[in-house]
Amino acid sequence: MVARDTPHPGLSTEPVIRTDRLTKHYGGGLHRPGHGSGTIRAMNEVSLEVRRGEIFGFLGPNGAGKTTMIRTLLGYLHATSGSATVLGLDVVTDSVALRRRVGYLPGGMATYGSLSGSASLDYYADLQQREPVRRGELAERLQMPESDLRRRVRDYSRGMRQKLGVIQALQHDPELAILDEPTEGLDPLMQLAFYEILEDIRAEGRTIFMSSHYLSEVERICNRVAIIRAGHLMALQHVDELLARRKRRVTLRWRGGTPDLSDVPGIADVVVFRDRITATLSGDVAPFVRAVASPSLVDLLIEPARLEEVFYEFYAGEDAETPGGAA
Amino acid sequence: MSLRLFRQTLYWQRTRLLVVGLVAFAWGALVPTFYTTFQDLFAGLVEVGFPENLLNFGSGSLFTLGGAMTIGVQHPLAIGFVGIFAVGAAAGAVAGEREAGTLEVLLARPVSRRRLYVSVGIAIMVAIGITLALLLAGQVLSINLLGVAGEIDQWQVPMVWVNGMLLWGAFAAFSLAASVSFDRRGPAIGLSLAYLGINYFFEILGTFLPDLDWTQEYSLFHHFNPGEIVTGNLDPFDLALLGVAIVLPVVWALVVFPRRDLAAPA
Repeated sequence: MVARDTPHPGLSTEPVIRTDRLTKHYGGGLHRPGHGSGTIRAMNEVSLEVRRGEIFGFLGPNGAGKTTMIRTLLGYLHATSGSATVLGLDVVTDSVALRRRVGYLPGGMATYGSLSGSASLDYYADLQQREPVRRGELAERLQMPESDLRRRVRDYSRGMRQKLGVIQALQHDPELAILDEPTEGLDPLMQLAFYEILEDIRAEGRTIFMSSHYLSEVERICNRVAIIRAGHLMALQHVDELLARRKRRVTLRWRGGTPDLSDVPGIADVVVFRDRITATLSGDVAPFVRAVASPSLVDLLIEPARLEEVFYEFYAGEDAETPGGAA
Repeated sequence: MSLRLFRQTLYWQRTRLLVVGLVAFAWGALVPTFYTTFQDLFAGLVEVGFPENLLNFGSGSLFTLGGAMTIGVQHPLAIGFVGIFAVGAAAGAVAGEREAGTLEVLLARPVSRRRLYVSVGIAIMVAIGITLALLLAGQVLSINLLGVAGEIDQWQVPMVWVNGMLLWGAFAAFSLAASVSFDRRGPAIGLSLAYLGINYFFEILGTFLPDLDWTQEYSLFHHFNPGEIVTGNLDPFDLALLGVAIVLPVVWALVVFPRRDLAAPA
């Protein structure tokens, strides 16, 4: 299930998305004392590559610039400077051609309340000029039976609208799916079904670029992740690599005395409280395990590093210098 | 043009088009009846000193059949019938989708903004054309039933329709230009209504205040006069001027819309 552990055999280094110092500033000119220059720097010189056949997570809190990035890639926004290509096509000059091959789920997607779910999907498929070959399968997996699709969208719950949004984005089997907060409004069961859909699509060599502020979600399904803060790219790495650099938290219970951990490489922050010892561990785990392998060991817990910790580290000094807000 | 977008835009307007079209037809049939029923009464009023200009309306008059036809298309009711599409539907077409958030999903398809604009614009012109045709059809039917067809050249009625399409095309083009320039329906409709209202005000002002009849030249409505067309006095300048009034906002929209930043809807 965990995508990054089972990379698609055809995973290539060919970039599906490539941005080169992509920058988007809004406004400007107006200067108010204490309010900077009046320019909102939504995205600052972001350079990244998304490879074919990967699930790429774009992480950041609200206002970090995730949606600005997506909207620039799809031609809704015009970059202030820099360039970008999607599927080898320039996002400015070939915008229409690239949208034929892309599926997009906007954040908080709106659709026509007066149309039924199936009429909406037909409309979008017609405009896409591609057969909705995946619609039936997606509807089944997301539990949207024909009876639900026949109802008007205005009668849908938030979760049903989101499911409709997922179907419209993926029904034509796009080479690249760009999903903005895709699990917003989905219940846990549907989230699980959605992750499985993404994994299957990825296994077929499709590429998924998704923004999210759910760290566990990104950690669970993404191959690589970019972390954006105030329009600046803070990190771009394989999720495993990102986590490997982090310290694991270890907790052990020891019968009689305290083990000598001073020679274990990577061990730090050792705290002893009665029979419980906690510490952090970076690097290879084997020397530590060897050091505690003793009849005195009652219990041992090694917690994996979480993306959440990485994320918080990048956002630690947020109140300090923040170059600008973002859409 | 995207045929699918065109069809869908007309589909959104289908109920409105049916109701407004039928009412416009009925209104068109009613106006010649006023002329045949009350022309003697009006003539009598003028003879006893009633100000003639108060019996006129805009460029129309109730003393001739052609003048009555002009009133039929310049009356506030007729303005309302066609304005529903030329202002209401046009101004809301893009700004409304933007406000509702549905433009996002549309523009995720391989449809350029210009293609979207053209498709929606043509659909709105078709709705205007049908409404105008039904209004004129009502007039022609009524004129023939009342036996006064000999007073006009009926073969000129298609040219009346063409002239009307140019007039309302100018308002629709302005409204669509406003629609692609704003993110919300309110400002787009407000600006379009103001444009329509100012033009209408200039046309009507001269009717009631003859000293100010020069203002009529600055009204687009003044360049759509069925009464003159059906009596063989079509002025090609009217068509040319209305053509320019269409081209300018169309160029604006085709230049501005693709260049606009469409930030995420609130």
